[in-house]
Amino acid sequence: MPRKPNNSRQTRALLAALLERARAWRHGYDLSKETGLKSGTLYPLLMRLSEQGLLESRWQEPERPGLPPRHVYRLTASGLALAREQELEAIAAERAGALA
Amino acid sequence: MNAAPSQLRRLAVALAKHAASVLPGAPSWAQAMRHELDYIADDSAALRWALGCMLASYKARLTHRFNQRAAWRQVATSGALMLLIGLALQEHAGGQTEPPRPAFDETTCSLPDVSPELRARLRCGTVSVARNHDKPDAGRFKLAVVVIKSEQQPAQPEPVVYINGGPGYPLTVYAAHQARTPYAPRRDLILVDQRGTGQSEPSLCPDLGGKLLETALALAATGTEEAFARRQATYLACRDQALGRGLDLRDFGTRVTAEDLEWVRRALQIERWNVYGESYGTTVAMTLVALHPDTVRTVILDSIYPPDPVPLWSTTVNDARDAFFASCARDSVCSTSFPNLAKTYRETLARLEQKPLLVTVPPQMRQPDDRVMLTASLFEAVVTNLLYYPTAYPNLPHLIQTVHDGEPQGLGQVLATQLAAAAIQNRATHAAVECRDRPHYRQDLPAGAHGLDRRQLYGVCARWSDLAPSPLIPAGTRVPTLVIAGQFDPVARPALSRHVADLIGSSARFVEFPLVGHNVRQFSPCGAKIAADFIDRPAQELDTSCTDRTAPIPFLPKAR
Repeated sequence: MPRKPNNSRQTRALLAALLERARAWRHGYDLSKETGLKSGTLYPLLMRLSEQGLLESRWQEPERPGLPPRHVYRLTASGLALAREQELEAIAAERAGALA
Repeated sequence: MNAAPSQLRRLAVALAKHAASVLPGAPSWAQAMRHELDYIADDSAALRWALGCMLASYKARLTHRFNQRAAWRQVATSGALMLLIGLALQEHAGGQTEPPRPAFDETTCSLPDVSPELRARLRCGTVSVARNHDKPDAGRFKLAVVVIKSEQQPAQPEPVVYINGGPGYPLTVYAAHQARTPYAPRRDLILVDQRGTGQSEPSLCPDLGGKLLETALALAATGTEEAFARRQATYLACRDQALGRGLDLRDFGTRVTAEDLEWVRRALQIERWNVYGESYGTTVAMTLVALHPDTVRTVILDSIYPPDPVPLWSTTVNDARDAFFASCARDSVCSTSFPNLAKTYRETLARLEQKPLLVTVPPQMRQPDDRVMLTASLFEAVVTNLLYYPTAYPNLPHLIQTVHDGEPQGLGQVLATQLAAAAIQNRATHAAVECRDRPHYRQDLPAGAHGLDRRQLYGVCARWSDLAPSPLIPAGTRVPTLVIAGQFDPVARPALSRHVADLIGSSARFVEFPLVGHNVRQFSPCGAKIAADFIDRPAQELDTSCTDRTAPIPFLPKAR
């Protein structure tokens, strides 16, 4: 059976974190802390989701003088749809587990 | 005073830099990872983060995104990477890695007005850059680059890169002119035709300027909605033409131009350079400093191009013109000949509103019967343009007076010169950059807008392309910065330039030059001297005393 794309545990964790505050722009380091994903895992995922049009990014002005601008991310409409779909699947799976 | 970074922190920075170097064609991702480091307070966490960044970069490099062979070669050199880690633990290892270099392809120089002496000091060529720095496989643009070697050799290792204004004006074609007044002793000078300008390829709708001239004159003459709509349609036809040629208009904007310059720096194997931005070039220069501070030794911002939120242009122009009229009132020759120039000017506009003047223009303007209808709006544009140039100041009151009296003298030639100068600008590139950078052009013409404002890109940009990440101000940078402004500058008033210097912070110094307009260095020997001193010795106190010795404007008296 072909593997479903964007269905790895790490991707699902990232999508869930992004969905949690769907309209907010999120920093890489904050996402790393929230999901427990190390930068070496996180950024390839961000790059891939971005290439697939599931994630949008922009530069945010420095938080205070002397600091560089930050790259921030949030889900696009299709990213949001996928994250919601996965959330529903997770809930369904949890319920299935509870009934089993 | 900041504490010295710990060994762990230095190692983290070195690794993050190396991680960025592995992704040379994806600067935003490379920078994204690197910049986060500065927000991680704990040194051990920073090191773990940087190690992960390195891993992420190699992963990305090995996937389809980047050149596979080069990627494997780089992975094969991971032994060298281990060496780097060792070196990073040493005292002097911080940031000595360089990403793989883009190439400078040297070509024969074919530039106008070049003397044999200058020819011997020129290197001409091209640097191929990614159309989209986030997608290096999506094609290339070719930038024209000229290096003018300093007359005094050996030159200092850090040259000057001059970033010209516009957006849309060519630069390398003026190499001979640029070579005349060195920016600083013993420094080579780098000139680049920004993407979409000059000899750089591709060129966007090179015929747009001519078409716009017709619509601009119609707009000035009639001011009707129809003329306004025709002008917009001319722009949008250019957009369609560009899209038809396979160009993506999102490949323009200040961010991408700043990244291009970074590629040029690396292609020329320059470790650090002195950045001189003029007019719109200040926008590129500030963004470059914000994104690549380690590569900049000093930066000069000559005649700021207003950052967002931009004041209404007509308001800025009114203020500059009033400052000029006030200086006439303070001058004995000017005030005797033209006792109330501000009033005369207002009356002139009112008269032209009532009854435009037919002005004879030179045949090269190709106007019907060699005549142009001088409306109030067109005259206002002419006077605004003259405020840029101190060379025009002596005759400006006299010119206003003759138009007021219905007998304009020399105005046809002034118009021809101004339109010839405007024709040099690639207006499509101008729109391509501004529409990516400027949110306000996506809105309707604001309340209180004036004829001058109608000539801008309101009503064009929303249909031209998306908005890009905005240009940056290097707030809090440690790069020594000099901001210079002219008293009569109609693009940014000195107060606004001072405000930008304040935003940059304690590393920025601000100097205002009396009786100068836009582009200080070009028209003020005092400005050129101060700029050269600053580049030469940025840490020293600036001697600005020459600004107090500015010669008065030699106003022409009223003809008897």
